[in-house]
Amino acid sequence: MGWQFMKQSMIINGKTHEINVDGDMPLLWFLRDELEFTGTKFGCGSGLCGACTVHVDGQAIRSCVTPVSTLVDKKVTTIEGLSENGDHPLQKAWLNNNVPQCGYCQAGQIMNAASLLAVNAAPTDKEIETAMEGNICRCGTYQRIKKAIVEAADTLGKEA
Amino acid sequence: MSVFNASRRDFLKTAGVATGGLVIGVALPANALVEKGIFKDSGTNLNAFIHLADNGDTIIYCGRCEMGQGISTALPSAVADEMEADWLRVIVKQGDADEKFGPQATGGSASIRVMYQPMREAGATAKAMLIAAAAKVWKTSPDNCFAQSHFVINKSNQQKLGFGDLASIAANMPIPEKPTLKKKSDFNYIGKKLPRHDQGEVVIGKRIYGVDTKLPGLKYAAIVHCPVLGGSLKNLDKTDALKLKGVSNVVEIPRFDVPFGSIGGVAVVADNSWTAQQAIKKLKIEWHLGENAIYNTKEYKQQLVANVEKPATLAAERGDLDKAFKSAKHKITATYTGGHLSHAPMEPNASVVWVQKDSCEVWASTQSPVDIQKVLGQYLKRDPKDIVVHVAMAGGAFGRKFKCDYVHEAAVISEKTGEPIQLIWSREEDMRTGYYHSINAQHIEASMDEQGNVTGWLHRAAFPSISSLFDPSLERASADSLGEVTNHLFGVENFRAESGDAKAHTRIGWYRAVYAIFYGFAFGTFADELAYKAGKDSLSFVNQLLDNNHNEKQQAQIQRAKAVLAVVANKSDWHKRSTLPKGQGIGLAVHYSFRSFVAMAVHVEVKGGEIKVLNVDCAIDCGQVLNLDGATAQMEGAVAMGMSLALSTEITFREGAVVNSNFHDYPVMRITDMPNVRVHITDSDESPTGLGEPGVAPFAPALSNAVFAASGKRYRDLPFKPLAV
Repeated sequence: MGWQFMKQSMIINGKTHEINVDGDMPLLWFLRDELEFTGTKFGCGSGLCGACTVHVDGQAIRSCVTPVSTLVDKKVTTIEGLSENGDHPLQKAWLNNNVPQCGYCQAGQIMNAASLLAVNAAPTDKEIETAMEGNICRCGTYQRIKKAIVEAADTLGKEA
Repeated sequence: MSVFNASRRDFLKTAGVATGGLVIGVALPANALVEKGIFKDSGTNLNAFIHLADNGDTIIYCGRCEMGQGISTALPSAVADEMEADWLRVIVKQGDADEKFGPQATGGSASIRVMYQPMREAGATAKAMLIAAAAKVWKTSPDNCFAQSHFVINKSNQQKLGFGDLASIAANMPIPEKPTLKKKSDFNYIGKKLPRHDQGEVVIGKRIYGVDTKLPGLKYAAIVHCPVLGGSLKNLDKTDALKLKGVSNVVEIPRFDVPFGSIGGVAVVADNSWTAQQAIKKLKIEWHLGENAIYNTKEYKQQLVANVEKPATLAAERGDLDKAFKSAKHKITATYTGGHLSHAPMEPNASVVWVQKDSCEVWASTQSPVDIQKVLGQYLKRDPKDIVVHVAMAGGAFGRKFKCDYVHEAAVISEKTGEPIQLIWSREEDMRTGYYHSINAQHIEASMDEQGNVTGWLHRAAFPSISSLFDPSLERASADSLGEVTNHLFGVENFRAESGDAKAHTRIGWYRAVYAIFYGFAFGTFADELAYKAGKDSLSFVNQLLDNNHNEKQQAQIQRAKAVLAVVANKSDWHKRSTLPKGQGIGLAVHYSFRSFVAMAVHVEVKGGEIKVLNVDCAIDCGQVLNLDGATAQMEGAVAMGMSLALSTEITFREGAVVNSNFHDYPVMRITDMPNVRVHITDSDESPTGLGEPGVAPFAPALSNAVFAASGKRYRDLPFKPLAV
């Protein structure tokens, strides 16, 4: 009997969701096609561009190469669940710096940056670049992304 | 132009908004929007469209397609400014495919240039009618009233009436014959920094892109294409694919031989995208590759070089070049090349199409809904007007989504299965089934006199042109396609342009900045090479080249080009460049394209073979700027895209097929490479021109010039650092 008949589940943005699909299905497609959480984007399918970044137990992962079978009972956070009211310091800093152009990669950028700030509250420019290197923005908003992360880190530092 | 009151017509029904309130349309004379080479016909008429509801909500439609360039903020903000609407009360909606919005094919950096004036006049008309309505209520003269921030105010007693309260009364007011437009000094939004209307949705993951469309009963499709242009399916075994749980259909898609039709392929339909992608891998396919299987870009580029290093077909001529060359003090030659490029927007091609017996409805990320109507109309043998196209936000496009082959394919599948179909291309298919930027070679020979004046200029270019899409038999680019060479602002009395043979073996398409990419590179780099030969600094040499242009029609352009160049020289400390540390250098370039002027100063550090771009100063003159922040963002993005194509991105063909497949072998720029970009915008009263593309052209030549200044190494081939694939 396949594992998928055993009523496994994962927790997405605080809510339990039964994993009712093939265990090999990457989380990205479970989110997008089965649950219709479309904020997480498909960019490359190979973990090369970062558009599909979400958190698993608080850490950034590439959902396009993460099979759902590895996520049983794990806590998944998508861009839709990053904050209650869209008011995470990164989201505010993104708006304050008018970061998005097409905006398609920005959910992945923000989720990746949130994971960075969770472990490094005051990253240097170099640390920001290294952490964000896996996230491509074809519109070229990198300069503003850097600025927004620095600003959000400042906000978090003041709150702490 | 005339403005009309649409409140009592049935536009509201088609627009899908509640009736009531004031609705303003703008009718343009039939040919006002026809731009040579960009729009074939203007269609009709109603192009801007304001709906002011009784509660004060103001819906402004954007008929041009949004792909990240910010047009759906810029144009509506011009309406709101003239209308004295409060931007916070404005709801921007994207217009479906409909000729009432005017030309919707979004390309050529044309949106602002074409639509700025009509959008302002629509706003001014609404304002005049609201003022007239208030004057009627107060039994005073309209001159005694003014509008401000969503209210009309009575000058004598400071009474106020909200726009919402006035909407229905205004709908019955006469339309002003010629609405008065605001003075520049009175602008609220035009020329200011206005945040994007949709960025709040972006940061919470709620902005809906083409790829995000969901419908009840939606089926998901994946596709694999014939790897070679002109090939066809030889043999298909779908047994294993159909065995996969959740797979419902395998659909053959023959090549549809119209511009923007499918190249041909095989699609799988399933319950979700992932299953469809898995099933694609289980198809056993043999292709007839056809005659383009001979195409190898490495050899082809060498052939282009050979074709420009010998006499070619005359495109244009001035003066007596042979005589100039004979009496030359210096004779300098150089050959420049560039490879194919794939647009690679972050959102791959995607759409939803539902073909039914009596209807066809499309949801697509697109730059040209009109072409979707045309191609689907041709394919389904229906009137293009019967194809309903909802224009979705595109997750980047850069020219790729002007061509709707991916939408056509979804229509083929949906027609076959009767279901609503979402077709998403994989990244690999996106990279391998493109409409590529032309591979190219240019050869320039120039003569100079003793004072360093350029006396003669021979410019040969060879590249498969975009026209080959429409006429594959073309052997070379036309004289028109060399227009940017012939009309370049450099003043050279004795001049000849020639077009070298370059038959297309793949689909060629517009890529952000188009031919300006390689023309800008050749002109900007060669000018720097000439300056060294003449023993002059590049800035004064380029200024001299521009000053030597005595064509009266180009004098204003020359002054504007020189002005932006002066700005970047000043901002980058060009005059102090001799004090830079060893291994650093500054390069300059200026290029005029899409009617805008852009100069760049690129400051690099070269260590061993490594090129690190430290700073970029970018100056633009695009006439009156609409959105200061949007304009700045376009330049930052142009630097990033210019840097990718200058340093690393190139599409390689072997035996007719693209070798690259994903971002590991098509390495676009990442955050680690991003320089500090400083954008300097000219305050101008000239008519506005576009900025989507012009920023790309000057980067590569400025970089080549900077690297030469820093290291003495001259790069003449794009990209400088090709990846071996």
